[in-house]
Amino acid sequence: MNPLLSLSGVDAGYDGVPVVYDLDLTVGEGEVVALLGSNGAGKTTTLLTISGLLPRLGGELTVLGAGVSDGRHRTERRTLDLARRGLAHVPEDRALFFELTAGENLRLGAQRGDDEAVETALESFPRLHELSHRNAGLLSGGEQQMLALARALAGRPRLLLIDEMSLGLAPIVVEQLLPTVRAIADDTGAGVLLVEQQVPAALAIADRVYVLRRGRVAIEGNASDLRRRRDLLEASYLGDIDEDK
Amino acid sequence: MVNFAHAALGMYVAFAYFELRQTGELVLPIIGLPDRVSIVDAPTIETALITCALLSAVLGLVIYFCVFKWLRTAPALARVVASLGLLLYFEAIVELRFTETSATQLSLGSILPEGSSEWFGVSVPNNRFMLAGLALLVALVLRAVFRHTRFGLATRAAAENEKGVLLLGHSPDRLAAINWMVASLLAGVSVILIASVTKQLDPLATSLLVVPALAAALFGGLRSFVVTALAGLGIGMAQSAILNFTTQTDWIPSWIPQGGFQQALPFLLIVIALTVRGETLPGRSTIPESRLPNSPHPRFVGMTTLILSGATLIGLLTLDSQWRLAIVVSMIAALIALSSVVLTGYVGQISLAQFAFAGVAGFATAKLAVDAGIPFPWAPIIAVAMTTGLGLLVGLPAVRVRGMTLAVATLGAAVAIEELLFKSSALGGLEGQRVPRPRLFGIDLGFSAIGSDNFRPAFGIFVLVVLVAVFLAVANLRRSPTGLRWLAVRANERAAAASGINVPATKLSAFAVSSMIAGIGGVLLGYQLEKLAPASFTVFAALALLALAYLGGIASTSGAVIAGILVSGGIVTQLSGGDIGGSPDRQFAISGLALIAMAILYPDGISGAARRALARRRRLRQLVSNNADADARAADRSPADS
Repeated sequence: MNPLLSLSGVDAGYDGVPVVYDLDLTVGEGEVVALLGSNGAGKTTTLLTISGLLPRLGGELTVLGAGVSDGRHRTERRTLDLARRGLAHVPEDRALFFELTAGENLRLGAQRGDDEAVETALESFPRLHELSHRNAGLLSGGEQQMLALARALAGRPRLLLIDEMSLGLAPIVVEQLLPTVRAIADDTGAGVLLVEQQVPAALAIADRVYVLRRGRVAIEGNASDLRRRRDLLEASYLGDIDEDK
Repeated sequence: MVNFAHAALGMYVAFAYFELRQTGELVLPIIGLPDRVSIVDAPTIETALITCALLSAVLGLVIYFCVFKWLRTAPALARVVASLGLLLYFEAIVELRFTETSATQLSLGSILPEGSSEWFGVSVPNNRFMLAGLALLVALVLRAVFRHTRFGLATRAAAENEKGVLLLGHSPDRLAAINWMVASLLAGVSVILIASVTKQLDPLATSLLVVPALAAALFGGLRSFVVTALAGLGIGMAQSAILNFTTQTDWIPSWIPQGGFQQALPFLLIVIALTVRGETLPGRSTIPESRLPNSPHPRFVGMTTLILSGATLIGLLTLDSQWRLAIVVSMIAALIALSSVVLTGYVGQISLAQFAFAGVAGFATAKLAVDAGIPFPWAPIIAVAMTTGLGLLVGLPAVRVRGMTLAVATLGAAVAIEELLFKSSALGGLEGQRVPRPRLFGIDLGFSAIGSDNFRPAFGIFVLVVLVAVFLAVANLRRSPTGLRWLAVRANERAAAASGINVPATKLSAFAVSSMIAGIGGVLLGYQLEKLAPASFTVFAALALLALAYLGGIASTSGAVIAGILVSGGIVTQLSGGDIGGSPDRQFAISGLALIAMAILYPDGISGAARRALARRRRLRQLVSNNADADARAADRSPADS
């Protein structure tokens, strides 16, 4: 079976200057893959390049079964095209529409007339039910993150990219949200690529893990193995600091 | 997106409609395309209306794809500048393509049925009611569309966060294009209907309809269609009522110009309403204003000033009188642009009233000198102090509004000052007000002279001294703690307040400084022109100067200098021999297009672009030398290492 997402030798970066080099990565159906690494390792850059918000600088990128070969200025078309084919990207800033109500945010996430998907998304986050008439800008940080996830879900994604879901959230909220992500993958068969700083929480739900260090893959393996080998992970994070000294 | 050319587009389409009805020819507004195409011999009202509605929609589409698509991620001010370019273009193209005779002799036949009915003893034409009803109906339809349809929701979402809608699979381009078409169509058809009811169609006055329209839109928070429509109707009715009232009573002092209250009052009311509703700090869910160009720490100020002022001095002393005039025009424009640099560039408060402040100081100097007999250095000093006070007064409400809202509010203030003060008979009315020559210690500093010696260098040197002093003062302020506070407020008002900066006081200090600078510029402009009239300080000139200041580089003192050099009648005009292609109207059209092109090419201004190019060259050079070092080191190591 073909993976939903495959990167082979991909270079990614800004203004033609790569910050991620030669990245090989796959995400299969129903799989939760965690992308870890310290700040500045290139995790967010990788996600932006996959969804087309950044032009790919080199290598081969296959998303949802179609190869991507775009020039510098064609990325917007690609983002649109991928979004319509089932890629959902929850960016770091959540990209919510603050002046629209939570319900309207959800409606925009769903396909035209797909009210059922909105309902299903709401079932995953019951708290949003009572908030659906409130402007998104007035929700708390945790509620906003729920809304961002729910909005992505409402589009019935086949591949879900989630960037730093735990950013600024209380640990207890993260503990509630991450299992929901696992459930999405299990229930809908969507593949999930999860960028996360809360390493233990991410390891708890992920199938496989990639650890980036300075734009290159430092460790790659099964989450269950890495749960037992915390020393490896620590070395890859701390090694960075040693090098800086 | 606030489009100052919206009414101008409608104005053009209305001209095209009435011309089409008369001649059966559709006039095209694009330079390079044929002037007119024949449609049908004698078009009916329906044919002409539909043709012109289509023309509006197509124009909207063309404008989006040729201009605003490229400015989607540019600072809001770059879009304002482009819309001003568009406004100039439409003004010029109407003058170009509708010959004088045809434009004034257009028979503005009615579209809505004639006849009138009695209401409370007053006879009101029926078509007025139909027009009002139509406006409300359109507002209700728009409200329904933007509240309940997916397209409407996506549009509102895109206005806030384009990346967000893109990631959800909605094309921001498509949304923008459709909205441009709808908005242009509405502008076109409404101006046709308005002109057919009022029997008036004047290129300038109709384009300025955008001011009350924006006021109404502000009242609706740039959000609510129905409130906007009601506010628009309210403004219109209030204006008629005021006109009625002022013509019937005699207690209004005679120096207030006819129609002054009518133009100014509704707007002032809206500004007051906005101020009461505004907050001194933006709330939590406020979407941050889009960025302004980088404001660099001024460097090499002494050296640059020395070189530039030396060159100017040599120019003033050696070049002929036409050149001296051009240099003086440029220097005064640079001064007024400098006032925008302080307020808009450093503190992020978009003000369109700077030119009006200049006018107040200019007129005040003349009045003080002529009527009160106050001699030279004191009259302008008192006038500038008065202008600073006025700037503080305008600044007080401005502390509670920001961004585009402030831009429109200050535009309204400028219109009010123009209508109530500059057109006042006490200031000479349309005739103009004489400004006496400046004279210091027996030295004549006046500009004009009789005969070949016209445009005396003495005045030029006087202006240069003032400009250099203000320039250095602004550069120093930018480097002082005050300047840092200004930039902090510009960057983030909430963060500035959180770090202990008194945000309202900081904004007020900038309003004071910038209105003072504008006042100085206005005084000098008065001395240069020697006679001030309402036409010396029009809103259009104010918009054009802000556009140039933005293009020069609104966030740096060098930008003001570039704006001065570019100003119409200034050094660039003189260099080009005062002739850039044909008739004045053609020149206007071309300069409008140039403004748009420059906004697209340099969305951060010319000085910013130059600085970036220099920085890139420096970086490249560094990169090359670093690589050479690395290569040298690699050559020392064994190949297995790499």
